[in-house]
Amino acid sequence: MADASELRTPIAIVGAGQAAARAAQALRALGHAGAITMVGDEPHRPYERPPLSKAVLQADDAPATPVLPDAAFDDSRIDWLAGTRVQRLDPAARRLHLADGRTLHYERCLLATGGTARTLPALPPGAPRTHYLRTLDDARRLRASLRPGARLAVIGAGFLGLEAALSARRSGVEVTLVESAPLLLGRFVPAALSDWLARMVAGQGIALHLGQGLAAARADADAVHLRFADGAELAADAVLVAIGLVPAVDLARDAGLAIDADDGGIAVGPGGQTSDAAVFAAGDCASQFRTTLGRRARIESWHNANEQAAAAASGLLGLAPPAPAYPWFWTDPGEHNVQMLGLPAADLQYVCRGDPDAAGRALWLGLRDGVPVHGVALNTGGDLRALRPLFEQRVAIAPEAFAAEATALRPWVKARLAAAAAVAP
Amino acid sequence: MNWIRIAAADDLQDDEVRAVTVGSARIALYRSEGEFFATDNRCTHAEAQMSDGYLEDGCIECPLHQARFDIRTGAALCAPATEPLRTHAVRRDGNDVYIADPAA
Repeated sequence: MADASELRTPIAIVGAGQAAARAAQALRALGHAGAITMVGDEPHRPYERPPLSKAVLQADDAPATPVLPDAAFDDSRIDWLAGTRVQRLDPAARRLHLADGRTLHYERCLLATGGTARTLPALPPGAPRTHYLRTLDDARRLRASLRPGARLAVIGAGFLGLEAALSARRSGVEVTLVESAPLLLGRFVPAALSDWLARMVAGQGIALHLGQGLAAARADADAVHLRFADGAELAADAVLVAIGLVPAVDLARDAGLAIDADDGGIAVGPGGQTSDAAVFAAGDCASQFRTTLGRRARIESWHNANEQAAAAASGLLGLAPPAPAYPWFWTDPGEHNVQMLGLPAADLQYVCRGDPDAAGRALWLGLRDGVPVHGVALNTGGDLRALRPLFEQRVAIAPEAFAAEATALRPWVKARLAAAAAVAP
Repeated sequence: MNWIRIAAADDLQDDEVRAVTVGSARIALYRSEGEFFATDNRCTHAEAQMSDGYLEDGCIECPLHQARFDIRTGAALCAPATEPLRTHAVRRDGNDVYIADPAA
C-alpha cells in the first residue's frame, strides 16, 4: 500500500554499496552527530563487491563480506531503508521520492548509486541461462549454475570476466572466454603482461578467444547459442555477459545535474559536490578531474569508492577534502595478483623489471619524461607500493637502474627520493 | 616460556620483513627502528604473506590489497582487513633474535 508520509534527514545517502558505507563511516569519524539515512534497493547490508567474482563464485553459500563489520555498521547509526528504490530526485525541494510512495527531505544528499552491468540486447537480464554479475544475488545465482562439467561462455574478458572465468574453471566448469579486443586487458597493462595472462588462462584449461566479435546470441530453455563474427558457433549451458558497467546516473540526469559528456558520470568537484550545492556524488557513478591525467575520469574501483566517499563526507559537512590519493587498483585472476598504480596513457614509455615467464612476477613502470605515472605489478604488489613515493613526488628515474634486478628496490627508492630532495629548492 | 632462535639481528635492516617458519607456524619477522616484532605471516583478509608486504612506521601493508596492520599489536588499521594479526613475543640477546614458541 502506498504510504505518502514524508521523512526528514540531515544527510541522505542514495545507494548502499562500498562508497555509501564508507561515507557514512567517514561522516561519523568527522563528527557528524545527526541522522544519516541510507536508501538502498538491495536487501543486504553494504557488502564488498571484489569477492563476488572470486570467493562467492568458488563455494556454495560463501558469506558476503560486509563493507563495515556489523559492530561498525551499528556504531555508524545509519537509518537504513533496505530494499527501497529512489524514483526521483527533486533538488529544488531537496526531496527524494521513494518507490514506496514516501518522500525523504534532506539537507544534503550523497548519490552513491554505483552502476549496473552493461547489457547485450540479444541476452537481456532475465533471459534463460543468462547471467550478469554486479550484485551478491547475481553472484549466488551464477554460482548455482557452476557445476563440474557444465559449459559456461563468458562474454568479455575485462577484469570481471577474467576473474569469473578463472573462478568457474576452478569449480570444474568448461569455460570459453570470448573477448572482442585483440589483447587481454590491453587498455590497461603492457602487451607482455597481456600475453602472459593469455597463456596463464589457456594453461588453466580455459578456451580463450581474443579478437572475436559476437555476431548473434540466443538463449532458450535448453542452451545458449552463440555465433561469432568469423562464423564459429558455440553452445553453452550458461552465459555470463561481462562487458562493462553503466554508471547509474538517471536520478542525477533527470534532476538536471551536470553529467560528464565523455565518461557519463556525475560531474563532481574535489569534495564530491555536484552542480547542485546540496547534492554530492561518489564512487562508480562520479566523474572527477584527475591531476595525474589532466582530465576528468570516472574510475570503477574499490579504492576509488573509498577515497571519493571520504572526500564527499568532508564536502557534505562543509570541510576541505583530503588530498586525492593516486589511483590504485587490484585484480586477482586465479592464483595471481595484478595491481595498478596510476592510470595508463598512450604517451608513456614502459620499462619492465623482472621476467614474468621465468619468475611469474614482474613490475612495469610507465614513464613520462622519466617520471613514473603508471605502475603495473604482477604478483609483486609490495614492490609497487614501495615505489609510490616516486609517483607522488614526481621523481624522474633512470629506466635501466629500475630494471636492474640486482639492485634492491627499497634502498634504491630511498636514494632516488633523497637525491630529488637535495635538488629541490 | 620456550624461546626459539629465528634470526641474527644483523640479518635484517630497519623496515625489513622476512618470512620465518617455526615448526608448522608461518611467521613474519619485522625490524623497525632497531626493534624486532613478529606476527603470523598470513593476512587475515586473504591468502597473502605479510613478508612480501611494505613495512613503514611500524605498520605492515599487505602486498595484495594494502590492508595495514600495527606490527606491535597486530591490530587491523584499515580496510579491507578487519581481524587482527596474531602477534608473537620476540626477544633479542646480542645478535640473536628469539621468538616465543608459537606452538606453546
